[in-house]
Amino acid sequence: MNTKAFMYRIAVFLSVVAALWTLAPREAAARLTATANHDHISIDFLYHGSSVSVRGISDPGADLVIAITSADGEQALKKKGKVAGFLWMNVGKLAFEKVPALYFVNSTKNPDDILSIEEREKYGIGYAALEKHAEIKPVAGEDEKTKWFDEFIKLKKSAHLYDVSSGKIQVTEKDGAQNYYILCDWPYQAAPGDYTVTVYAVKDKKVVEKAEAKVQVEQVGLVKLLSSMAKEHGAMYGLISILAALGAGFGVGLVFRKGGGAH
Amino acid sequence: MYLYLPVALTSINILIPVGLGLAVGLLSGLFGVGGGFLMTPVLIMFGIPATVAAATDSNQIVAASTSGTYAHWKVGNVDFKMGLYLLAGGFVGGLIGVQGIKVLNAMGNADFVIKMTYVLMLGGVGSYMFVESLNSILKKDAAVEKEEKESAMGRFLKTLPLQTRFEKSGVTHSALLPIIFGGFVGILAAVMGVGGGFLMVPVMVYILRMPMHVVVGTSLFQILFNCIEVTFLQSYTNHTVDFILAVLLLIGSTVGAQVGAVFGRKLKGEQLKIILAVIVLLVTVKIVFDLTMTPSLFLGYSGGH
Repeated sequence: MNTKAFMYRIAVFLSVVAALWTLAPREAAARLTATANHDHISIDFLYHGSSVSVRGISDPGADLVIAITSADGEQALKKKGKVAGFLWMNVGKLAFEKVPALYFVNSTKNPDDILSIEEREKYGIGYAALEKHAEIKPVAGEDEKTKWFDEFIKLKKSAHLYDVSSGKIQVTEKDGAQNYYILCDWPYQAAPGDYTVTVYAVKDKKVVEKAEAKVQVEQVGLVKLLSSMAKEHGAMYGLISILAALGAGFGVGLVFRKGGGAH
Repeated sequence: MYLYLPVALTSINILIPVGLGLAVGLLSGLFGVGGGFLMTPVLIMFGIPATVAAATDSNQIVAASTSGTYAHWKVGNVDFKMGLYLLAGGFVGGLIGVQGIKVLNAMGNADFVIKMTYVLMLGGVGSYMFVESLNSILKKDAAVEKEEKESAMGRFLKTLPLQTRFEKSGVTHSALLPIIFGGFVGILAAVMGVGGGFLMVPVMVYILRMPMHVVVGTSLFQILFNCIEVTFLQSYTNHTVDFILAVLLLIGSTVGAQVGAVFGRKLKGEQLKIILAVIVLLVTVKIVFDLTMTPSLFLGYSGGH
């Protein structure tokens, strides 16, 4: 009995210590948190984009950079150029490697002002860092790489898939901690897949802490069924598409005849 | 109201494809063309990937041309025999054309050749049809002149073997004629990546000497089969047919084709020809404009021209 009572006291003591430790303000090194509130986006027929909000706690006084990106991938694009001196047409292909399909970066201040070049390149923050990391083939030299990378960003921005801006993060101080919140529009052009939200806490031109959250975008229901059928059962999908079109064509023809369209 | 397209991976206001389908279906029923030259670029403009736009358009044309063929067949304006000969030629031509693209790609200047062929064909065919139909509208004597010219060429055509009568069109030709010209259109259509209705219609009018109203119905009949083949191949090999987008388009186009067929009966052959010529010429001007204007984006996704 005595032993049992002793063990019980020990357990209570440890629980209280644990609870106090959890409640007590912690050192900066373990403080940053990030939660995406809308971390599962379902694409159904009525989907027209969504929004993603990220909130968390950070060390007071730290600047923040929030990046939402897809994994690096490869994209082959056609490049346009002049032919015969005055005709614009496709003149070849460029392969863009190690580039994300989606890239959103928002920060409390301009990243160029709060982070050193080395740090931006290390964490891939900003277009310049992204360009340094990316590979474009075939290009002759850095100037041409920069020229085509700028065009690449223009194309991505036009599809609402790339954005680098600052000032959208709301920051409030409470109980010695800094709460942050950002609400981003999620474009319908973003393909289904997994996306990573990374929050960087920045002090003295350096990233001092990093926290991650995931956003999953997935097709559901009939959208998913049609999409996977088109990919995996192309022949059957093709036949159904053809039969549906034939049926619709005949159906409308019959309706028009019944409607007195025949002369 | 917006609807998400599972293969195009984008969202579109449903009024756009339904309205576009209606307009292009109207052209189909009136002139016997598929309307891909109009439909595909507009779809791309609204954010549909080029490959999906082209493949889905052929799916949609299956419905529009079924509706149109049915409407024209009811009033006896489809020459099935001629249509089948043209199809046979077109099928072989398509196979040759696809090989032709491979050769062009290997040579490295495919895009230039394709664009130039397209502009020259559209411009040439459009101008010829315009001048010819304008002449026949302005002076009825032109018909007599034409008869004389035709007899010279007609004598040569009569010497070809396998002469056969096409009842519906009221013409007698060698069976080789529609097969060869169907093949020719098939090659060009495959190289240019279009259905070729705008080439097939003039071939039937000026070379096969078919009456315009039968041309429209017969053209739709053979477009129907071409597009069934293309839809299947695109679904099977490229997975680029968007069923939902096709349904939205065909809601408009099947109705448009019926309205076009009814409206077309009220117009004379020459009037139909001259309106089609104007549309073809406008498309040519638009393409030339696009070729010479500095583009806003210098990179594009693969698949389109």
